[in-house]
Amino acid sequence: MINFIVRRLLGAIPLLLFISVVTYAMMALAPGGPAAVLGPRGGGLSPEAMARINAVYGLDKPWYIQYFYWLKQLLLHGSLGTSYVDNRPVIEKVFEKLPVTIEMVGLALLLTLIIALPIGIYAGAHRGSFFDNASSAIGFIFYGMPVFWLSIVLIDVFAVQFRWFPSSGLSSLGQENNALDRLWHLTLPVVAIALVSFVSWMRYQRSSIIEAMGSAYIRTARSKGLSERDVLVHHAFRNALLPIVTLLGLSLPALVGGAYFVEYVFSIPGVGYLTFSSIFARDYPTLMAITMLTAVLIVIGNLLADVTYAVVDPRIRYA
Amino acid sequence: MRTFRRFLRERSAVAGATFVVMLVLAAVIGPFLDTTPPNVINHALIGVPQPLSPAHWLGTDLIGRDEFVRALYGARVSLLVGASAMVVSFAIGIFYGAIAGAAGGFVDNLMMRFVDAMLSFPTFFLLLIVAALTNKFSLSIIILIIGLTSWPGLARLVRAEVLSLRERDFVEAARALGASPARLVLRHLIPNALAPVVVAAAFAIGDNILAESSLSFFGLGVQPPSPSWGNMLQDALTPQAEAAPWMVLVPGLAIVATVLAFSVIADGIRVALDTSIGQATAAEVLDVEPAPYAAAPA
Repeated sequence: MINFIVRRLLGAIPLLLFISVVTYAMMALAPGGPAAVLGPRGGGLSPEAMARINAVYGLDKPWYIQYFYWLKQLLLHGSLGTSYVDNRPVIEKVFEKLPVTIEMVGLALLLTLIIALPIGIYAGAHRGSFFDNASSAIGFIFYGMPVFWLSIVLIDVFAVQFRWFPSSGLSSLGQENNALDRLWHLTLPVVAIALVSFVSWMRYQRSSIIEAMGSAYIRTARSKGLSERDVLVHHAFRNALLPIVTLLGLSLPALVGGAYFVEYVFSIPGVGYLTFSSIFARDYPTLMAITMLTAVLIVIGNLLADVTYAVVDPRIRYA
Repeated sequence: MRTFRRFLRERSAVAGATFVVMLVLAAVIGPFLDTTPPNVINHALIGVPQPLSPAHWLGTDLIGRDEFVRALYGARVSLLVGASAMVVSFAIGIFYGAIAGAAGGFVDNLMMRFVDAMLSFPTFFLLLIVAALTNKFSLSIIILIIGLTSWPGLARLVRAEVLSLRERDFVEAARALGASPARLVLRHLIPNALAPVVVAAAFAIGDNILAESSLSFFGLGVQPPSPSWGNMLQDALTPQAEAAPWMVLVPGLAIVATVLAFSVIADGIRVALDTSIGQATAAEVLDVEPAPYAAAPA
């Protein structure tokens, strides 16, 4: 097992290097950069000033030299550079936004599971029933629903019409440390995320229940004379939960980068919001940091999924 | 023909196909019948969005433009981008997957590691960055961006299909008869791997329409004043639009209905092509990868 984990982590290194090279090249070859960002603000810079700024940031060198410098900074000093916008270390910028996004997406994930699992189990156990068909029809509708549109609709109905919830932001003025106020602000964004993402969880749970119900140990349980309810709750359900547990690992990256739309529409100051402002400001170091953070989490999430799978299911062994 | 008849038995799929046909007709012919210009500001109506009326079927927006006409032009954009981006990504994905599967060994391994790497980029994040960096928003660029970022999943699907076909007798026979590798891929492997590809294509059009409207919503797709469902929603984001709920509902429902229609068509094709499923329930459907824009899992 340890062997397997180490091998996977080593295998991830070339992958991460590849992702960083491609992303870096893409950004370096695109127009923009600090001179362009600072230029208009300074009322038009002279070419000499532009050249000086470019030299300060090392942008007068070819992109692959810049990349190696970036890599050296990362490996030797654990630094991902400073932001073009406010000159702060980008790691600091990203980590300061991270808790907000983790809190919001974490709550959304919780709500998603609370909605999705019971529906998925019931639909899977009563395959072809009215409930099964109705839940998948509703699922279909949410599958095609853009989350930013759903967010706007929720705002229009529950914030503008009924005035039950605030339409944006993370806390009321002067209530920054009030957990209840925060929860109140997060309700609509969390509901929006949960509604568009419960569909796939529900489908996974449903098909894993169907698969479990067709297996030999269920036939055994039935032939022992157990009630259908006992079969479902004690035998099928426990085994059908395995794939769901592994899926949790795969949803790890979403905790960071999965909610830019919702953060944008609701003005929640999280990583997604930072992503958008960095894109529009062409703040490449920050974008680079967010990309790498997400890629690392994808790698870790995949590994975690495999490992938990082996832990909860003793039939699976990794050499 | 048998497949087509089986498709016709799927009521929801037929409803979806009818919707798409009507939408295509409306998008193509509509602007000739109702010649209201989509982008001209009506100064008399600025700031007073009109509700639904015989003059403006779906109301007007904040600067007096007719929502119905704009939605029709938006349908043109969505359908064009959805279908063309699908063609781009499928042209790449099919050949890439087929070559990797047919080559096997080291080449296959290398090609698929590249696909893994592509899939390790958060898809929509990649889309956003590329769109923002290109900074050119012509339709063909949008189509290319969506097409070039969405093929890796398909390459995986085609490769898996080809791997299972490779060992089958008819491929063995063709190889024994001296067919060249290129002929093997083009004449035998790709045509026989098409069934799941067709299903994926219908889903992909819907996904691409979602992607285009998301990009346009964030100002990284179709640029105003040209209408697209996405940027019409952007217009509806201002507080003044709160009194005009149709500005949110018209483009939003258009997106939802169109994506839904393509999903049920995909499902219908799947049922029609797969003889083993036979009378499948309408529920056998959403076991597809969740859309990348759907925020949370996987």
